[in-house]
Amino acid sequence: MKLVDVMSASGLSMYAIVALVLFVAAFCGVLFMILAPGAAARHAQASRLPLDDDAGSLPLRSNND
Amino acid sequence: MSSHIETFSYDDAIVRKFLWATVIWGLVGFTVGLIIALQLANPWFNFNLEWLSFGRLRPLHTNAVIFAFAGNAIFTGAYYSTQRLLKTRMFSDGLSSFHFWGWQAIIVAAAITLPLGFTQAKEYAELEWPIDIAIAVVWVAFAVNFFGTIAKRREKHIYVAIWFYIASIITVAVLHIFNNLSVPAGLFKSYSIYAGVQDAFMQWWYGHNAVAFFLTTPFLGLMYYFLPKAADRPVFSYKLSILHFWSLVFLYIWAGPHHLHYTALPDWASTLGMVFSVMLWMPSWGGMVNGLLTLRGAWHKVTEEPVLKFFVVAITAYGMSTFEGPMLSVKSVNALAHYTDWIIAHVHTGALGWNGFLTFGMVYWLAPRLFQAPLHSKKLAELHFWIASFGILLYVAAIYSAGITQGLMWRAFDETGRLAYPDFVETVMKLMPMYWVRVVGGSLYIVGTIIFIYNIFKTWQARPATYEVPMVSSAKLVKETHDAHPAPAGEGLLARFQSARWHRRWEGLPLTFTVLVVVAVVVASLAEIIPTFLIRSNVPTIASVKPYTPLELAGRDLYIREGCFNCHSQMVRPLRHETERWGEYSKPGEFVYDHPFLWGSRRIGPDLARIGGKYPDLWHVRHFAEPRSIVQNSIMPSYGHLGRKALDFDGIQARVDAMVMLGVPYGEAVTNAPAMARAQATEIGASIESSGGPAGMGDREVVALIAYLQRLGKDIKQVQQAPVATAGGVMP
Repeated sequence: MKLVDVMSASGLSMYAIVALVLFVAAFCGVLFMILAPGAAARHAQASRLPLDDDAGSLPLRSNND
Repeated sequence: MSSHIETFSYDDAIVRKFLWATVIWGLVGFTVGLIIALQLANPWFNFNLEWLSFGRLRPLHTNAVIFAFAGNAIFTGAYYSTQRLLKTRMFSDGLSSFHFWGWQAIIVAAAITLPLGFTQAKEYAELEWPIDIAIAVVWVAFAVNFFGTIAKRREKHIYVAIWFYIASIITVAVLHIFNNLSVPAGLFKSYSIYAGVQDAFMQWWYGHNAVAFFLTTPFLGLMYYFLPKAADRPVFSYKLSILHFWSLVFLYIWAGPHHLHYTALPDWASTLGMVFSVMLWMPSWGGMVNGLLTLRGAWHKVTEEPVLKFFVVAITAYGMSTFEGPMLSVKSVNALAHYTDWIIAHVHTGALGWNGFLTFGMVYWLAPRLFQAPLHSKKLAELHFWIASFGILLYVAAIYSAGITQGLMWRAFDETGRLAYPDFVETVMKLMPMYWVRVVGGSLYIVGTIIFIYNIFKTWQARPATYEVPMVSSAKLVKETHDAHPAPAGEGLLARFQSARWHRRWEGLPLTFTVLVVVAVVVASLAEIIPTFLIRSNVPTIASVKPYTPLELAGRDLYIREGCFNCHSQMVRPLRHETERWGEYSKPGEFVYDHPFLWGSRRIGPDLARIGGKYPDLWHVRHFAEPRSIVQNSIMPSYGHLGRKALDFDGIQARVDAMVMLGVPYGEAVTNAPAMARAQATEIGASIESSGGPAGMGDREVVALIAYLQRLGKDIKQVQQAPVATAGGVMP
């Protein structure tokens, strides 16, 4: 018996429900991660990371304009 | 708490290298795009040169724009931002250099091999196996360098832009490896290990996610870094950026089958792809809104700063493309749009607007900082912006019109119930004015690019004799690094959970984070792929479908070499106007020996699924030599070289052997392929001569291609004599 025969006969349709439950759970986890207590301060700090790095000073404006 | 301060510098030399590669390859990719646009407007621009014909140059255009222009743009921005966000130099300068030169060598290899006709015939994965291996090696080097940099970082928190880079690196590696698995039949020839429906499924799982994880997520990473920098304010909502990220990672990977609506793909897979595509709309627009609202209170800067102008149009184009994508994935819309220029317009809204303008804005922002000289001319940057914007508008307006026009003409019936436009070329000729407008729009975009390159070049010329290398100081990251915003402490399981310390730890663990991304990508992929590969009822076999003869196989390889699949589909959809025009709709079982599948994605020429036996051999000989001698207004290139070049009969055995390795039952041909091919070719050559055609065609390439075309759709015509076997029994 080949693997394809086993898979064909194993009635996998219920796994669609399992997948749906897993996805909803994962989505709820992401939502909790975003809305969890204490997240706001952490996010405010994180959102400033690009502005806190040292990008070097910008050279003076060109005279070509 | 440790306060050990370390001093270090960033590697900006590698960023400068990638920046130059971006602008140079951008011009090359856009110029090849202009050439193929001209070829569609007038076939004279094929110049009767086989290596400049549309079928060979189109993949060069897509590869150059995606992997050379956009790829180098990603690396430019990622190398610059990663070092600064993680407060460390790249893990290894040697690996950075290897990545740069390796990637450029791959691009050069692509630029040489694609015009020569070496292709796997899979969109955006055309490159043959030796180059695929090189891509894997260079990508792994990039990944090691990137994750090594994360490991030695001095900033605990990993900013969301880095998350997008991680997801891109991981997913592109998975996609590239699995879609390119093939059996070599020579140094530059291979056959996909998958066939027919399964190959199509794998290809569009790859193809769609190449768009997702090469043209979307890494550019979103760039947006989340460079937009706040240019606007000098933090991203509007960091929460939204996290939701944006995880929603894209979870949803994108499922959406590939929407490229195969109404084909022989199982309906469940097609519907799944559609549902997930529609769900993608929300997070995509969340990201767009997040980008645009980052400019709140700073819109006055947009009027003054060309960088922000480019970013605003880029983000707007992202929003338009990601609205249109889900809409196109709805089956009823897709039935009209698929195979038409509508898809080309959709792609170019994203590529020219989103990828192009984000790159231009980023380079304009980076150039003064990297070259340590003021931008040569802001006015020229403004001029570039307006010329390129007008070019995009002309391009997409024309090509949207072309797509909808042709789609409606294909499906139009007259009052007697017959096709209103039965002659396919009539639907092509209607597009010619729009194709010329596209040429104008594309030319404007290129003019803008030339101004851009001039501006960057002049900025570079004003650089100091020696670049200053600023030294940066930062505390070494140790476990007890001070947290500026500690979460409230609590006792008990619930309190500890609510304190969100678990998540703080989790965000700082890149390995855990990477594993979660891999799990999301792999689980979704396997859930879609396994049933298609391992449940028999998804691909019912048809007893009358047999492997191609050795000569037909050689002809199929010529079809691939010439890139015929770029213009001709081999897939009749079960729609009335399709079956009226082309014949019986295509069945999954027809393609079980097709390594690779050749369903195509655009009908610039007619569908060929049922072409076998429609015309005599001599018709094909004359049509290949000069298409306009047979079809007056045809825009097909001339393929006179097929009638001049001798067919490599001896090389056919290696191709048959590779097919045998893939499980194709070749019987006698396992030991006798060249002789069998010669016998069939001689027969076709004699038929051509006896019909009044030229003598001596029996050993030319053209007979192999004719043999292949004459076979297409023939097997299914015997189905009434041979019952169709399915998992559930026998189908009448």
